[in-house]
Formats: sequence, C-alpha cells, structure tokens
Amino acid sequence: MKKTGVIIANVLLIIGILAFVIIDSYFENRDMTQRQIEHFENTTITMGHVTENYLEGEQRICDVWAKYIENKGMTIPEAVSYIRISHVLPNASAHIVYLDTKSGLSTRARQDAPDDFTVSYERMNLLNDLSWIDPIGESINVSRAYTNPVNGEQSIAFCNFVKVNDQNTGLPRDAILLRILPVAELEQKWVFPQEEFESIELSIIDADGDYIIKGHSFKNSSFFEFYRSYNATDLASSQELFNSVTSSTGSFNMLNSRGEDWILGYTQVAATEGWTLLGFMPVKDLHVSTENWLLIGVVSAGLLALFLFDLVVMLIFNKKLQVAAREAASANRAKTDFLSTMSHDIRTPMNAIIGLTTIAEKNLGDTEAVGENLRKITLASNHLLTLINDILDISKVESGKLNLSPQTFSVVETVENLVNMSQPMVKEKNIDFNFRVSRMEKEYLYADQLRLNQIYINLLSNAIKYTQAGGRVSVDMGEEESQKPGCVRLNYVVADNGMGMSPEFMATMYTPFSRQTDSRVNKIQGTGLGLAITKQMVDLMGGTIECESEQGKGTTFRVLLDIPVADVQREDMKLDPMDVLIVDDDEVLLETAVDTLNSLGLNADRATGGLEALGMVAHRHSEGRDYGVVILDWKMPDIDGTETIRRIRAEVGADTPVLLISAYDWSDIEDQAKDAGANGFLSKPLFRSTLYDKMSELLGTEAKSVEPESDYSDLAGLNILVAEDNDLNWEIISALLGMYGITAERAENGRIAVEKMEQAACGSYELIFMDIQMPEMNGLEATRTIRALDDPWASSIPIVAMTADAFSENVTECLNAGMNGHIAKPVDIKLVIKEIRRIREENKQ
Amino acid sequence: MKKLLCIILAVVAAVSFAACAGSGSAEFKPALDTARNCSITVAGSYDNFEALEAAFDRFNAHYPNVRLSYVKLDDYNNSIGTALGGNDKPNIFFSYAWMIGNEKYDSVVSHMEVLSDPALKLNLDCIRPGLINRDAEGKVTMVPVFSRTYGMLVNDDLFKKEGLSVPTTKAEFDAVCKAFSDKGYKSPVMGYSLKSSSCLMNTVAYPLFLASLAGNADALAKANSLDPAAGEYMRPALEAVDQLMKSGYVDLAECDKIEDNYSKVILRFFEGDVPMMVCAGDTVSGTKKRESQSEAFTNSPFAYSFHPIPMTDKGGYFIDSPSIEFSVNKDCSDLDMTNEFMRFLVSEKELNDMASVKRLVTPTKDMAFDAVYAPFGKVPAEMTFSPEVLGVKDQLTVQIRVAAFKVGKGELTIDEAIAQYGTFE
Repeated sequence: MKKTGVIIANVLLIIGILAFVIIDSYFENRDMTQRQIEHFENTTITMGHVTENYLEGEQRICDVWAKYIENKGMTIPEAVSYIRISHVLPNASAHIVYLDTKSGLSTRARQDAPDDFTVSYERMNLLNDLSWIDPIGESINVSRAYTNPVNGEQSIAFCNFVKVNDQNTGLPRDAILLRILPVAELEQKWVFPQEEFESIELSIIDADGDYIIKGHSFKNSSFFEFYRSYNATDLASSQELFNSVTSSTGSFNMLNSRGEDWILGYTQVAATEGWTLLGFMPVKDLHVSTENWLLIGVVSAGLLALFLFDLVVMLIFNKKLQVAAREAASANRAKTDFLSTMSHDIRTPMNAIIGLTTIAEKNLGDTEAVGENLRKITLASNHLLTLINDILDISKVESGKLNLSPQTFSVVETVENLVNMSQPMVKEKNIDFNFRVSRMEKEYLYADQLRLNQIYINLLSNAIKYTQAGGRVSVDMGEEESQKPGCVRLNYVVADNGMGMSPEFMATMYTPFSRQTDSRVNKIQGTGLGLAITKQMVDLMGGTIECESEQGKGTTFRVLLDIPVADVQREDMKLDPMDVLIVDDDEVLLETAVDTLNSLGLNADRATGGLEALGMVAHRHSEGRDYGVVILDWKMPDIDGTETIRRIRAEVGADTPVLLISAYDWSDIEDQAKDAGANGFLSKPLFRSTLYDKMSELLGTEAKSVEPESDYSDLAGLNILVAEDNDLNWEIISALLGMYGITAERAENGRIAVEKMEQAACGSYELIFMDIQMPEMNGLEATRTIRALDDPWASSIPIVAMTADAFSENVTECLNAGMNGHIAKPVDIKLVIKEIRRIREENKQ
Repeated sequence: MKKLLCIILAVVAAVSFAACAGSGSAEFKPALDTARNCSITVAGSYDNFEALEAAFDRFNAHYPNVRLSYVKLDDYNNSIGTALGGNDKPNIFFSYAWMIGNEKYDSVVSHMEVLSDPALKLNLDCIRPGLINRDAEGKVTMVPVFSRTYGMLVNDDLFKKEGLSVPTTKAEFDAVCKAFSDKGYKSPVMGYSLKSSSCLMNTVAYPLFLASLAGNADALAKANSLDPAAGEYMRPALEAVDQLMKSGYVDLAECDKIEDNYSKVILRFFEGDVPMMVCAGDTVSGTKKRESQSEAFTNSPFAYSFHPIPMTDKGGYFIDSPSIEFSVNKDCSDLDMTNEFMRFLVSEKELNDMASVKRLVTPTKDMAFDAVYAPFGKVPAEMTFSPEVLGVKDQLTVQIRVAAFKVGKGELTIDEAIAQYGTFE
C-alpha cells in the first residue's frame, strides 16, 4: 500500500472513530438531556405539589379565621382585632371588606396615615368578579397578584366569604376576608429546592394565562402573550399550546425576550381555579454537553497524536526498511558476485588439478614432469581446500551456529604452526619476515585453538599475500596482564608495508564477500571472507581487532584477546648459570631474547651483527672465558649466521656450541650450516620453553647433531586399523601410510572396526584412524563401543578421527566420544605422521 | 484639480461624520460599576409593557446584574401615591401632566426627581420640545416616553386597489369617501361609537376644537374654566362631526358593532374592507400584535398607515401630546442606577425602539423611522398643536368628547351641545 493510501486509511479511521464518538456523544447527550428534562419536569411537578401545599396551608389559616369570625358573629372591627392578635407573620396583613361596598378595615394602617385602617377595593377590579371564591374549606381561593391598596405592595390574597355583623345595625352582612401576603416575600421563599435548578424562575398563571405571580424573565401580562411576542407561531399552534399548558404537565423549549433558548416546564396546581405552575430556565443550564465535548476533544487530540506518532514511526520504519532493502540488495549482489567469484575461484584450481592430472597421465614416463605436475596439483588442491573451509566458516558464522570449543593448547605450537605455514609464501616472495615474541610467561592456554589459529593465520597470510615481493612483514606477539581473572591478554600485531587499504574499503572490510577493488588485488587469490571470519571469531572470543592502514604504505592489525590460562603449565624452567651470547640485527628480538635467557638463569650478552659477535667470542676466548652457548641469527646485514659460525669455528675452534636461529624454514640451509659447524637450529620466535628445551638438549648431549625430520624409520612396521567406508579414501590413506612403511588394515564401517578390535590380539594395532560417517555404525558409536571393551589394550587403543567433519564442535564431539585426536579430511600426510608420532610419544610416557 | 476636489470632499466627509457622531447618537457608555447588583422597578398602569421589557434586556447588556421589572399597579391613579411611600417603592413610575397642580397628587409629585438636572446628563434634546412639560422654573420632572395623537388608519392596499390616493385635504377626503361609496363600500369611514371614550366623533372633533382655541388665550382660559361661553368654540368641530356622520360615508350601525375602543377596532380594520378607521394613536399601538391574531389579516395581509384626518383645506391637525411619561422616585433605593437607566432610556434610539415595539408615536424628533406614523412627520408646524404647551386642562377634553359623541350619535343638536358646554361629565 502506498504511503498516501496508508495516510488516507488512517484519516478515514480517525474520522470514523470521531464520528462514532460524536454520534455516541450525541445520543448520550440526547438521553442525558431527556433525563434532565424529565428531572426538570418532575421537579416542576414537585414544586407544584409544594406550591399546592403552601397555598392550602395559607388558605387553611384563612378558613379558620373565617369560620371563627362567623361563629363568633363578629363585626369587622372585632374581626380585625381578632386577626391582629392571631397574626404572627410580620409582613402579612388581612382585610375585611363588605361585599357590597368593597370597603372595610385592614389589620395594618395605611402607610401615609398611621391611624387610618380603612381600605377600599371599590376602584379595583379584583373583587368585581368573585366567581373564583368558593365557600369556606372547599378550595384554595387565592387572588392574582395585585396592588395592596393600603401600602401599594404587590400582594396575593387568600380569600373567603364571611358573614359579619354590621356595626350599626347588628345584622349579618356579607363580607370578604382577605389574608394578604406580599409577593416579594413569597418570591424569596418560593424557589426550586434543587441546587442544579437554581437559575429557574417560577410563575403561576390562571386559566387565561394571565400571571398570578410573575417571575422576572416572564414578560407581558399574559404568558401566552409573552410566548407569541418572542416565538414564531400561528393561531392553531397558539391554541394547541394554550390547551396543553393549561391542562397537562410537560415541558417545551422556547425563546425568551433576549432570543435565548430556554426550557419551560408546566404543571397544574390542584385545588385551584385552573392555575398552572411554570418553571423557566436556560437550556444551557441543564448541564448536559460540556463533558462530552471534552471527551471528543481528548479523543481527537489522542487520535491525532497517535496518527502523527504512527506516521513518524512508519516513516522511520520505512526508512529502515529501505536501508535494509538496500543492504539486502547489496548483500544479494555481493553474494551473486561472490558466487560468480567462487565459481571462478573454484574452477581455477579445479582446472589446474584436472589439467595437470591429464598432463601427468600423458607423461607417466617422465618422472620429473610428473613430479612437477603433482606439486602444482598439490598447491591447487590446498587453495581449493582453503576456499571451501572459508565458505563453510562464513556460512556457520552467518547462521549463528559457530560455537567455540576450548581446549588446552600450547602457544608455542600455535606460533610454530604460524611460522611454518607462512614460510612457503615468505620464501616465495622473499619477504623480510620477523616474528617476535615478548614476555610469553604462560605456554599453555585454554581456548579454541582452531579459531585462534584461524585469526592469526588469516591476518598473517593477508599481510604476506598483499605485500609485494621483497617487502616486509612483522609479527609481534606478547603476553599482557588481563583484567579478567585467570586470563592473560594476548597481543597479536601484524604489520606490513604492503599495498594498504583505502578508507572506503576499511569501512566495509569486515563485511563478508568484500574485496578491495584494485587491479593489484584482483590478481591475488582470495575469497573476501578472511577478514569477515576473523572479525566474527574475535567478537566471539570477546576480543578486539583494530586496524591502521594507508594505501601504498602498509597495514597494521592488532588483536587483543583475553584467554584463560590452562591449569597445566610447564614445570619451573631453570638452567645452570652460564654465559650466553645472542646475536641478531633485530633490536627488539635481542631485547626479548636476553630477557628470556636471563629468566632461565643464564647470563646473556648481545651482539647486533656477525662481526661484533666474532669480536666478542674472540675476546672471551682470549680471556679463557668462552661463552657457554652462542646463538646466532641466520640473516644479518654484515655477515650471515653461517659465515659467522664458520669464522667462530676458525677463530676459537669447535668447543663453543653454536645455535642458528631463523624465522625461515631452515631445511634449505641445514646442510650448509652443519658444514659450517652449527650445533643446532632454533626457529623464531624464541619462546622460553623453546630456548629451555634446546639449551637443555644442547648442554645435555653436547653438540648432538640435529635429528633430521626426514627420518621416518621410527614409523616403519607400524600397523594401523583404518575404519573407512569409502574405497577411494581407503586407497589414499593406505597408500600414504605405506609411503612411510606403515601398514594399514581396513574396517568398512564402525561395526567391523569393533569386531576387529574384539578379535585382535594385544598390540595388533598401533592406533585406529576412525572415519565418523559410516554405514551400520558410525565412528563415534564405534569408539564408544571399543572404549567399553573388556580387553584393556583394546579399550585403551589410541583412536584418531579422520573425517570430513572438520568444525571445532566436531572435534569436541570426537574427543568426548573417547578419541585421542582429530585429523580433518582431506588429509595432510605430514599432519598424519605428526599425529602418529604424538600418539606414540604419549604412549611412551 | 481632481486631487484638490478629492481632498476637500474627504475633509467634508470626515467633518460630517464627526458631527454626526457628536450629535447624540453616540453609543451608551456605562458610568457606574457594571457588576453592580440591584433591582429597579417601574410601576405603571399598562397591563403589558413589552417595549420597556425589551429596553430592560438591552440595558442588561451593559449591567447584567441589574434586575429590572415592570409592575402594573391596580387602580394606578389611586395606588401610585401609596406605593411611592410604601415598603416596595417603585424606582420609576408613570406620570401625567394633569398630576401637577392637582392637590390629590401632591404626594406623588413630591416624589418626582428633577430630571432636567444637568448632573443626570439626560438627553432631553432628543424629544420634541412640545412634549416636554416644564414648570415655571423650567424644571422637568416627567419625560415623555410615547406620544399620542388622533387620526385614521388607512388601508393602503385598498386605496391602491381602487386606484385612489390617501386624502390630504377636506375636499380630497370627501371625494375619496364618495369614490369608495360608489364602489360599493357601505362605510368608507368607521370608528368606535359605543361610548364617548376614544369614539370616532371625538377623534374628529378634538383637533378641530384645539385649533379654534390655539392662539386665543382668552378662549382657552374660558374653555379650561368650563365657561359656557366657550361652547361656541366647539362649533366648527361639532359641525364637522355632524357633517361626517350625516354624509352617508359612516355606517353608524356598523360602527356600533365594534364592542371596544381598542382590540375590536383593530380587528375590524384588519377585516380588510374598511378604507379608513378613525381612532387614537393608542389604538394603533395594538395593531402590530394583533396582526397574527386576526385570521382575516393573516390570510390577506395588507399595508396600512396612520394619517391625520383631513378636515380642513390645509389638511389634518397633528395633536402632539404625551401618552406616557416617566418620573423617577427620588426616594427610591439605588437612585444612581435608576438615573443611569433613565440616561440609557432617554435617547433617540431607545425611545424610537420602544415606540416601534409598542407601535406608538415616538416622542423624539425623528418620526420617519416608523412607516405607519411617518405621515405625521410631514404635518407642518402650524398644523401641529400640543395640548400641554397650549395649557389645555383635562376637563376641557371631557366637554368636547361628550359633546361630539352626543352630536354624532344624534342625541344633541350642535346648538344644544354648545349650550351645554361645561356641564358634560
């Protein structure tokens, strides 16, 4: 739905809700108004009853007076005297006038003549028509409001016919008794009892509509005249209104003299001559609508605020969605690009493998050409394997399924592995490579070694990969104090002077599938996943990774990881005191090496070049204080290590043991160094344990020659059980092992492996290489079954997983099942041999 | 040149506007605390006084908490004196010129405040001078609220329908009467004729009688003192009545069917077949309200107006006399607010508004605002008489009224009536 559509829908919804509220309020108001009107009418009726009671009460007093006067046969003066005595109301008075003359006496004197009590109604038309006066006790005989002739006040009179005795003749004479109450006083008492109707005004009209008592807002002398004066009407309607008001109870709205909407309630006053009580008040005083408007206002404001809030949220959400969509499109593009790249990158080594295999098959007779082809096939295969591993890793990272499998490992081995892995490329590109280690106190740590290696290797291989031939790459690794208890902080810094990275690329370099767009980069094989994986791994391990880079000048990556120290550490490494000379052109290495040697209990001197070392060795020799050991770097600016050894030997003879150190694979210089007189070799970096082991070995065996790694005689004759369901894999592993004189027996699945172990005599197999995914019984189950065998030999035989399940959790799973190691397919025979030797070493111990 | 002309015109317009603004038509501005809470009562003899009640509402727009009410006093002329001295004193009351000098009303007069006191700032100048009654010292204690006059209601549409014009001279009057008569109208002229009060005979005769006394102080003095010799001054008036009644244009039997001199006169006129209904201005005051009460008029409404009765060659006379006057009870409570109300009321706007509602002749100088009475605004000054200015006494009016009635009814000859001047009651 488009934004406009959403807005219109919202507006319509708001209008709908408001319409509902307004309509509901309207009906509520209408009901409330109706209830108020009914209440008003009821109150008017009640007021009518009150009025009726009041009138009856006042009339009763008049009746009592009249009866008493008649019974006593009083004259008018006597009656006036009697009333004057019994009268208690201060403003009330009474008149008794003869019916024929309409004149008589008042209980109160005239205002302007204090002695004059006479009163006359002769000129008033009040008593001209007396049909409204009934005999005593029959009804309420109350007059209209009229002017009291004695004091000029507007008054009403309760009347009765009475018989009085004529003063002169003593004969009975008809007279009228008037009990008179001022209207002003009556108006003060005569108010609506309910507070909510305090603004109401009351009137009483007679059967003709003329006011008996007139409220302030009532105009004219007749109510119907008043109605007609200010309200549009016709004769028929006027008559209908007249009939209704003078004969029933109800209410209706009408305009007052100011054109305002007022409500008039009317009810008949019983026991009168057709009197009607009128209640008149402004419609607005019915108090029915203000709260609802407040509700409507609040609902409107609330809906508007909600609408605006939703609108803003929707806009923000849309913006985020747009960004996400862009990112998704970008990621999709990147994946498409990646797949395209992968297709290219996979096909390239596959092409090499297939092509070279074909060439090798054609040239089976040419051993040299086949060897060269196989070497290239190996390189292409390794690249393909790296590619596949990276893809799998990033896939796991992205799916959030990457878990760490910590285990105790040796940092020394990790670094050795790093150095070893980097050597081929370093050598190929003739890169000035330095790997320095400082203050590595703890050799054994507890972490996911595989992932740690991945971090370090990725950064190092990137540095080497993106540094031009002849460039420089250095690695500084050190141990720092960690804030986390039980941990050390490993500081790993890889610096190169390679091509560097642009700021734009640095902003996205940790994004999967991203590679710098650079013609130089495009020539370099890569997946664009290495840094993404590295970052994810570092984050997963709770570490930090920082990068400084400048195009054309190089890049420096720094990784800080807090890694728990393993419970098991090497015993205290101390050697007997001895003078040692360490020679290297790398000041940093010299510094750390001297520290390390000193920590072993040795006295280390330093020299920064071969010539300086020669001088120092010669000087010591002349003093009869030869160095116990001389440790020389192979590559030095003046004369290299081999030459220096040669000269030392020439100068001081063969007594002083000399160790040659190198950051490179020293197999190439091994023969040359031995010829020059080297007693041994050390690989950079110089770990404390490495130095300790080598120095102990050197001092213990005294110039023992280095054991060549190419001697596999120790492996000859070993018999290994290989549980492998795949014929090709079985063929490969059996052939590879056979190359080293190792015999292998195959078990096609886990069950057969178990059976073989049940049937095998003690010592029949050195170890078992166990595939994991096999029919009938998998490797894990088979391992657990073997571990459960009764035969102690069989149950404790080393079992090493050899599987394509290469993730760390797979490794952990294998170890948990009771295996002793893990080798990932495709197998690297060197690793296999190394693993066999490790197992054997452990068995010896 | 044009520019100069424009400037001059603009200046003239501005000056004119300023002059108009300062001529008394300025809006009323309250001089007292507008939140004042008090009551003012006006006592009078009218059963209804809607016009005054409408003025109350307008005054309440300025002073919302002042409670104004009109009270009709029974037997007003006798009870007003008592009321003014009683507990429930009215603030304002109806007053009449005849009260002054009448011993019976001395107490009433003694309560009257001097309304010409400049401190009260009443705009008496908006009232026609002939209506204001000043004492020897020039003091004014009564302010006319309405005026009354004598004339005839004319059915304008009927005249139009018959192609006739409203007569402005005696000759035209006779011609119109003949024309209507010829057209089948049984009684082109009608009026109340049952009793002498407000009868058509007196309405015709009284202006003529005053005209014969005007400018003749000796005659007026005799007439006021009911000297039989003054009867001769009635002759022109009685002759006019006699001639009219005998002309055949007045169907006396039809007139006698009109039961009272007010509502029935109006309702008869609204029947629509009477070209000219002779009556007093007070009767005209009831026309507006009775339009809706008359079925005939509701079904066939027509335009009507009130004209002087053209009994001379110069036209008809305009007897300009106060109908109702207001006096302020100087002993009342809240006298200052009472005077504030009077200051509000005595203005051309309010008096005209009241006259318009009451359908009575306004006492102000502007008579043209009400189309019904507009013809009287055109009567020249020499044809206008004010009984108060002339000094006509009440007993004089009784003489001419009864004489004219009796002559008109044929109960007396003109000579007999003249001879009996001073004896009529």
